[in-house]
Amino acid sequence: MAYAYLFKYIIIGDTGVGKSCLLLQFTDKRFQPVHDLTIGVEFGARMITIDGKQIKLQIWDTAGQESFRSITRSYYRGAAGALLVYDITRRDTFNHLTTWLEDARQHSNSNMVIMLIGNKSDLESRREVKKEEGEAFAREHGLIFMETSAKTASNVEEAFINTAKEIYEKIQEGVFDINNEANGIKIGPQHPTTNSPLSTSQGGQHAGGGCC
Amino acid sequence: MSEKMSDSETPHSESDGTEGAPGIQDPSPAETAGSSSASIPDNSTDVAPTRKARRRPETKPAEETRPTPKAEEEQQPAKTPSESTVSQGGWGYWGSWGKSILSTATATVTTVGQGLTQVIEKAETSLGIPSPTELSAKVEEEEKHQGEGSSETEKSATDGSSPAGGAMGMFSSLTSVVQTTGKTVITGGLDALEFIGKKTMDVIAEGDPGFKKTKGLMNRNASLSQVLREAKEREELQTAKKESSDTEKKVVAHYGMLFDEFQGLSHLEALEILSRESESKVKSVLTTLSGDELIQLREELDQIKESFSMVEFDDEEVDDKKDEDGTEFEKDLTSAVDGLSVSATENKLIKACQNARSTISDMSVPQEDGEETERTHSAEDVHATAIRSLAELTARSIELFHKLAEMILFSNGSTDANVLSQLTVVLCKEISLLSKKFTSCLTTAGFKEKGDVLNPLITGIFLEASNSASYIQDAFQLLMPILEISHIQRRAGRAEQ
Repeated sequence: MAYAYLFKYIIIGDTGVGKSCLLLQFTDKRFQPVHDLTIGVEFGARMITIDGKQIKLQIWDTAGQESFRSITRSYYRGAAGALLVYDITRRDTFNHLTTWLEDARQHSNSNMVIMLIGNKSDLESRREVKKEEGEAFAREHGLIFMETSAKTASNVEEAFINTAKEIYEKIQEGVFDINNEANGIKIGPQHPTTNSPLSTSQGGQHAGGGCC
Repeated sequence: MSEKMSDSETPHSESDGTEGAPGIQDPSPAETAGSSSASIPDNSTDVAPTRKARRRPETKPAEETRPTPKAEEEQQPAKTPSESTVSQGGWGYWGSWGKSILSTATATVTTVGQGLTQVIEKAETSLGIPSPTELSAKVEEEEKHQGEGSSETEKSATDGSSPAGGAMGMFSSLTSVVQTTGKTVITGGLDALEFIGKKTMDVIAEGDPGFKKTKGLMNRNASLSQVLREAKEREELQTAKKESSDTEKKVVAHYGMLFDEFQGLSHLEALEILSRESESKVKSVLTTLSGDELIQLREELDQIKESFSMVEFDDEEVDDKKDEDGTEFEKDLTSAVDGLSVSATENKLIKACQNARSTISDMSVPQEDGEETERTHSAEDVHATAIRSLAELTARSIELFHKLAEMILFSNGSTDANVLSQLTVVLCKEISLLSKKFTSCLTTAGFKEKGDVLNPLITGIFLEASNSASYIQDAFQLLMPILEISHIQRRAGRAEQ
């Protein structure tokens, strides 16, 4: 139950690209073809393990509709990671990435890890955006990239977990100041170092051995 | 901790705690005589600093906020001055909730009959909690009695502390503190019941200088979600410890963890973000204006503020017989949020209430004595369900406020603050009603239990219920800057046309 770190994520991107479906697949391992339009922001949470440490992901799934943008922008701040999602079957959602990226960079902290996601990879026949295009965009802007399918669950785990790994590495490198909650990272409840057997996993001695 | 005192000038019990060492459980009444005589002279001036120290400076003076029945009570000279100070202060509306807790307890007694009265009498001797019947019937007398017979009460409180401490460990925001200051809360039975919730936080925070985190709740700078998160983390730690040390111990219901599980914390955090941003936008708009324009806008904003300081929760209306199936609540809720486009969230909330009600009626089915005992619900079961339901309901209520905030900012339509305050009342009533039902259910389920088992569970439900109501009221307050900025934007829109 207790976690070593809590990371705040945001999911952003055009309406209908599958943000809420990705979240549902990640948290509940199920797919819901028809989803209500997200109003403002909705939430999901899941525990993952990286380097032997329990990490809680607290995910803010934002509304994609343009008209909600001024509200959802408020939620960017204090996120450690962002999943920027487009739909590989709709070119316009890919074309809007630049705007999303600018928005995200402007309203969040500069160290935020951004994962670019081309969703709906199961709909190969309707593909409008080549995988290479996504890769190129990611390379150009310094993002991590993956194609996923919220429907088949392909790469969904990986997308969330790889983002967390990147954040975790940044913590190890000292890029993130974990004591500043504006970075979207919280340290879990402190175990008393003396008597709790659970606290051993929190100790620094494991840090070197991690391979994930 | 001395600055805490000067900060809030709150009741005697605090000053006791602050004077003594943290571990000292000296309950209020003993010192009431001393400290009250000290504070009587400046009783009138005391009111102002108290109010100032509250988190909501915008709250209107007590004269306007406090409900009428309260006013009568306050004129009773027998009332301990410091106590009346609190009820007059920022928690003007809070006092009435306290009252409802009192009558709640009474209602439970009347419903269940002898059983609970005995339990409570037992508890009274062991824990120092005055009988609820007595409480609501003869408030002032009880207070006098408390003042006089304090040392006796104290002693018994110390004796009966361990069961209380154990159960108290389950209380969300109170978790660790209460184990040390529990007796302050309990012994000042009347205080605890009357100003339960925020007031309790006050007593606890002041009584235990080590517990600075809780104090945060009283501080406008610390966010509510922060406090809740910390409480939850402590619970998680406790659970982890318990699991490793004592595996056979029953899983206790942790309000804070459950509240987070229902995403209550996240919604609260998001609501706080919107509220803070709106607040700073309002401020920056105000700095750009001057002269008549500024005066006029100020007046308009004051009107909005006023609606936020006038929440009155008339507990006379809370009649557990009246809204048996929850249709009344659904009707009130629907009419309150009508036209605000939050139907999805509203439905979640209604569903949570329906679930709670059906659970209660399942658990309230009269049980045969004897062979079926194994299949029946234990008092702990009922307690756990109650805490879970309260946590869910509160989380959903806060989600509703968050969604309302988003819709208000999104649509920029005119939203009447009075509608929102009405909604707050509806939600708090429902919480109160459910806690009554749960406790009466608990008394039935635990009729065989001893008072020292049952009573902390009952108190626990009431405490979490009042905490729930308190969180809901705080969330409501967060809407104020949102309505203000929405008003300013509509105004600007009109000016442009």
